[in-house]
Amino acid sequence: MKISTPATSRSTLFPEYVLAVLIVGLCTVISLLLRPHLTATNLVMVYFIGVLFIASRFSRRLAMLSSILSVAAFDFFCVPPYYTFAVTDYEYFITFAVMFLVAFLISAMTARIRFQTTAALEREAQTNALYRLSNELAGHSRVFEIARAAAVLAQDTFRIKTTIFLPGDDGQISFSRRTSDHLYVPSVEQSIAQWVFEHGENAGKGMKTFPAASALYIPIRSARKMFGVMAVIPNVGASDALPSEHKRLLEVFASQTGLAIERTIAASAAQTAEVRVEAESMRTSLLSAVSHDLRTPLASITGAAATLRTHWDRLENDVRDELLQSVTDEAERLNRLLSNLLEVTRLESGVHLHKEAFPLEEVIGAALHRLRRQLAGRNVKTDIPANLPMVSMDDVLMEQVFINLVENAVKYTPTGSAIEIAAYLRDNFVEVEVRDSGPGFKQGHEERVFDKFFRDRTDNIRGAGLGLAICRAIVEAHGGTIRALNRAGGGAILHFNIPMSDSESTLTPAQRNKS
Amino acid sequence: MTEKRASLAKRSEILLIEDDPQIRKFLRAMLLAEDYRLHESVTGEDGLAQAAARNPDLVLLDLGLPDKDGVEVIHEIRKWSQMPILVISARDQERDKIAALDAGADDYVTKPFAPGEVSARIRANLRRAAVLDKNEPETITFGNICVDWSARRVLVGGSEVHLTPNEYKLLQVLLRHNGKVLTQRQLLKEVWGPEHLDEREYLRVFMSQLRHKLEADPAHPRHLITEPGVGYRLLTEN
Repeated sequence: MKISTPATSRSTLFPEYVLAVLIVGLCTVISLLLRPHLTATNLVMVYFIGVLFIASRFSRRLAMLSSILSVAAFDFFCVPPYYTFAVTDYEYFITFAVMFLVAFLISAMTARIRFQTTAALEREAQTNALYRLSNELAGHSRVFEIARAAAVLAQDTFRIKTTIFLPGDDGQISFSRRTSDHLYVPSVEQSIAQWVFEHGENAGKGMKTFPAASALYIPIRSARKMFGVMAVIPNVGASDALPSEHKRLLEVFASQTGLAIERTIAASAAQTAEVRVEAESMRTSLLSAVSHDLRTPLASITGAAATLRTHWDRLENDVRDELLQSVTDEAERLNRLLSNLLEVTRLESGVHLHKEAFPLEEVIGAALHRLRRQLAGRNVKTDIPANLPMVSMDDVLMEQVFINLVENAVKYTPTGSAIEIAAYLRDNFVEVEVRDSGPGFKQGHEERVFDKFFRDRTDNIRGAGLGLAICRAIVEAHGGTIRALNRAGGGAILHFNIPMSDSESTLTPAQRNKS
Repeated sequence: MTEKRASLAKRSEILLIEDDPQIRKFLRAMLLAEDYRLHESVTGEDGLAQAAARNPDLVLLDLGLPDKDGVEVIHEIRKWSQMPILVISARDQERDKIAALDAGADDYVTKPFAPGEVSARIRANLRRAAVLDKNEPETITFGNICVDWSARRVLVGGSEVHLTPNEYKLLQVLLRHNGKVLTQRQLLKEVWGPEHLDEREYLRVFMSQLRHKLEADPAHPRHLITEPGVGYRLLTEN
């Protein structure tokens, strides 16, 4: 929004003078036409109209000029003897004097009225700008964006060049943290900006402090805090110093900007607090889940051990065995829970993968070997193409994925039912499926089973709900995805894929058989 | 004295180097119950002294000792003895396991122990040590696999399988250390030579080929077992 101003710039001055001459000329032509019918004194009115027109449209200087021109033209054309400045009737000197005085007053008054109108318009525009400022700034969420939007708006509104400097991490105003490059201020003035930032007062050009500076520095602040410094230089061609009216408005502008920044900071602080509360409540629920899972086996162990110690002699042999068995089982369970928890924590704090190329079947084989006790009596079918290339992976972590998936299949399916592991290549990914023929996942749980501590079914099957969360963390760390599906004929499928290494070691073992 | 020694001839001597009193307590109970003769040390220094003084049949060594790195203890013992060393390590310390195995440890068990695991490992290592003292037998049979050293022939299910020279050498090294975990470094060094220590991928390819030739289901092996992150071991019994 530009504010229109009296056109006083030099480039447009010349045509105006021509215009003044033309208008006075036009008045003269009209007067010449009317001269036979009217008395000379009435022809003065024609010139008044011309002066009024000029005064209402153009500068006061031009109006004065046209007043003089009018008097001269009137004398030359309308006062006998015609076509000479000589005057025979000396009464006309009174006419001239009154005519000039009236023309002069018209131009002065018109100019003043117009100036007031312009000023009113300008004020309105600036009020508008302030209103727009608060509206526009509300749309930004970052301090820098707010400062930049404010600077752009100020530049458009006040016929100034401006840049807002923001403090760096050290709390010092830095000319390198600025909203635009439109304004050049010598870098030595950084110390002036710093002074303004520290004192919260205007300084620089036109002020008592640092009057020799090239720019005016206005603090961007709220009542409590400083956010930055606005440097202002009037546009070239505009009057050299900023009018005090503008200065005052700029200050309002700056403080509005400061308020907007404060609001933003407060909002983001509130958001952070909200996130923290959320994380806290998650941690609490996690803790309560963990502590429950830790306490239950601990209670069994201490209970069984204490019973054995106090009643050893009175207990039947098989009862002793049972109690001892529960001590070992529960301790084993605790151990697994703790290792899983540690594993999840480790994976969540960022995994460093030790990736090398491995035949997939080797990693699967290692997992199956480790699970051989649980798998006793189970039919495990593996379907891995012999020509499957080696896959780049962290073998220790990937073995864990297979252990968890196969263990799950064992846990949730009837004894003796088959478990299938299949792998195949698709595009640049190796796709792996672990399928069982148990009851499958409950409707709608397919996504949630990968959440920490989520358990699909809690009926007499024990676990902490960490196994699949670990799998997902590992698979995703490898750049793959994992999902849970139900088989058409009943049973669960856990499907994951990981990218083959991009270039190296895509040779199959068989292809390398040459050496 | 001589009578006594004669009566104890079958009882193997085990040196337990472990600083944790609770672990020591249960291992002591277990080992004594299984009729081993037991010596205990709580520090590496004392353990080394006892190993030298008593020359036990097997050392059970915890890697996290208060005074000395367990790997260093292994190095010291290996300077003068090939006695089996079974390492006790905490879970998920592949690096430590590899370091211990490379230093000359024979095997490891991971804390917390699965029931019966420690005594099974002790038995296996004592047995292997006893076999090592004797000459290698002409043929070894495990599962449906039969290896005839003198004829350099390998039979699977009665029919001969052709192995490349490197595959045969790999099988030979694994069999010589039957039951023991061999790190990838150790295998590379013994089969391909010390200048190929970093070619782990190469080793994997050969292991895979060997599995495809010897195992019924290479993705579910019974004999050529991978210890992820550590190395390989050959199991001749299940």
